[in-house]
Amino acid sequence: MLWIALHCPTLSLDWIERRFPAALIPAMAVTIRKGNQAYIRQANKPAQQWGVTAHQPLASALSLFPDLVVLEHDPNEEMKALQEAAYAALRFTPNIVLQCSGLIAEVSGSLKLFGGLKKLCRLLNRAVTAQGLQLCVGAAPTAKGAWLLAQSTPPHTVINGAGAKFHLLLDFLPVSLLESAQAHLEVIRGIGCKTLADLRRLPRGGMARRFGTGLLMELDQAYGDSPDPQKWFEAPEYFQRKMELMAQVENAGMLLLPVQRMIEQMCGWLASRYTAVSAFSLILHHEYSLRQPHRSTPINIRLSEQSNDPGHLMILLRERLERTKLMVPVCGLELIADEITTGMEANLELFPTAQSEATSLSRFIEKLSSRLGPQAITSLQAVSDYRPECSQRFNASGIGGFSCRGMHRDRISSELIRPAWLMETPLKLKLQRQRPVYGSLLKLISGPERIEAGWWDDGAITRDYFIAENNLGQLLWIYCEHNSTGDNKKKDWYLQGLFG
Amino acid sequence: MSMLASSPSAPLSLLQIEARFKNRIWRGDPSGSSSDPSGSSADPVVSSGFSELDKALPGGGWPVHNLTELLLPAEGLGEIRLLGRPLEQITGDGRNILLVGPPYIPYMHAWENLHIDSRRIVIARVDKPAERLWVLEQGIKSAAFGAVIGWLPESSLQTTRRLQVIARTVASLVFLFRPVSAQFESSAAPLRIWLGPVAQHTLSVRLLKRRGAPTVLPIYIVLPQIKPFSSSAVSGSALVHC
Repeated sequence: MLWIALHCPTLSLDWIERRFPAALIPAMAVTIRKGNQAYIRQANKPAQQWGVTAHQPLASALSLFPDLVVLEHDPNEEMKALQEAAYAALRFTPNIVLQCSGLIAEVSGSLKLFGGLKKLCRLLNRAVTAQGLQLCVGAAPTAKGAWLLAQSTPPHTVINGAGAKFHLLLDFLPVSLLESAQAHLEVIRGIGCKTLADLRRLPRGGMARRFGTGLLMELDQAYGDSPDPQKWFEAPEYFQRKMELMAQVENAGMLLLPVQRMIEQMCGWLASRYTAVSAFSLILHHEYSLRQPHRSTPINIRLSEQSNDPGHLMILLRERLERTKLMVPVCGLELIADEITTGMEANLELFPTAQSEATSLSRFIEKLSSRLGPQAITSLQAVSDYRPECSQRFNASGIGGFSCRGMHRDRISSELIRPAWLMETPLKLKLQRQRPVYGSLLKLISGPERIEAGWWDDGAITRDYFIAENNLGQLLWIYCEHNSTGDNKKKDWYLQGLFG
Repeated sequence: MSMLASSPSAPLSLLQIEARFKNRIWRGDPSGSSSDPSGSSADPVVSSGFSELDKALPGGGWPVHNLTELLLPAEGLGEIRLLGRPLEQITGDGRNILLVGPPYIPYMHAWENLHIDSRRIVIARVDKPAERLWVLEQGIKSAAFGAVIGWLPESSLQTTRRLQVIARTVASLVFLFRPVSAQFESSAAPLRIWLGPVAQHTLSVRLLKRRGAPTVLPIYIVLPQIKPFSSSAVSGSALVHC
């Protein structure tokens, strides 16, 4: 077993700060009640600059900085923040234990996939830090040991106890880190015990009688001398996360960071269930007021191909967010995985293959249609119909992506001459001395080819097609409506295509 | 140590220099890198399907990893037939083609008759210059396309340079159709070609810019013929004569 513990020393502040867009974080502090009086538990950087520090009575903190934003310590919200961090960590291992101020992850099964302990440690640390938490990290062969080590290190550091030094590192830890020692700290100090090593030298029988078996048990579990069963964090059946923002955000760009966090959580959840998402939605919640009937703005995203890659999902969402005009400030975000499919692991391919090319095509199409709209990117399907207007049809990209791969390849006889370009609608040509003009007077080179079709539906045409040339050298595909009277003098000429 | 110290001071003869730096000396050969004897340092090319044109193009074909600008007075001169062979080859290999902002609707039956697989053609319908550029960039960057063809009525040195930088990194053909007026603007594309009509089914091709010595004379390329309408009646149509 190998454990990585992520301890979050400033959790009570972090869970609030992460709900502000970075630019809007005010000076604030979290208080805790002791008896009748409130004390500062943690103060953030802007507040510290005003002299607000931990353990200060609230009254004196407010006298230092009257505009201090004060929030009461809320263990429930902290637990929620930790759960979200756990989602993000699920990408690296399914075995995660929630602690009161951090996470412990069992990673022995993930070492090889993520390239060793050092790399995995960095990835895990980065993923959870990106969720807006500040971390101290410890790695060790036991869960309790890792947790104790993480608690003992200063912020933003990693301590590796995974090697032979593990017991030595534990020996020097202060007794005050042990949970079950809290009630007896004074007595333990009184008998001259400072470190875990000191504690371990005491006779076990006497310790059990005086401090209860809990302390012995905790020590044994930390050193790996007794089993330490854990309760794993369980991801729910459905993914739906809601986040209240602590500020009214009017600029969609400021939402990118929290949205990114939620996407990471979703991808962790997807990874833990071996699935991928094929449709998801982000809902921007607005403050309700009578003046403002809009309660929410949904952004629904459908993928042409399932994905569980946070980078890719974020690109799609970013394009959509940037085009979303916010009429009303946003006060909350909600992310829902609407449709999930059993995931197909992307191959780690060295060379591009047909598979990876198809993936990059569908990604390209998704990226384009999320920015320019689905009608901007199409393919054309040839249909066997002699009428040029009906002989091909646009295939919108969109749901299911390009289905053109499997489609039947229709083509009309190669005996027939068709131009490479078609006009959107046939262009009526001007006449000069009864002859059509486009750029210059047209010279008919070849023709006519009679197309008489469409009598079976309402689009009947009877046309004589010619190939014509103008002075510029363009080859044109023009036609005149055939009329049964055979009067050639009053014919209207139309340009339908160009030979590219 | 002594060997390292002595080697730079020893004078090299011209022959030795040539032998040592064979692949790093660029010579102003009449047709650029095509005459490079080693051929290893040259960018790969795709044959145009026209031997006269291949001879004139540096490396012997349309360059991969580079922009190719085709200046055209108007559509409908045979520009698609000119590119027919490489496009046929690309779709035949199962790769895709991206058309960015084509001026008209491509008529797939005609493309099919050039043996281009119409199912492998992706069309981006964009009008705004900024969007065209964005789509072009994304298309060139994406690994999905064997060829990217863009119509750029307006462009600047900056934008072509940007596209050229991206094109350097990918192994696809990139063609930009530009109006003839663009020949007086500077462009970062290493290959610029002016297309004009001579007679029916013949295209005059002038290489305005290429690696190697410039050419002045145009090349005349006979395009695959558009056969005159067959005289046999096809179903649903009857033949009349004017």
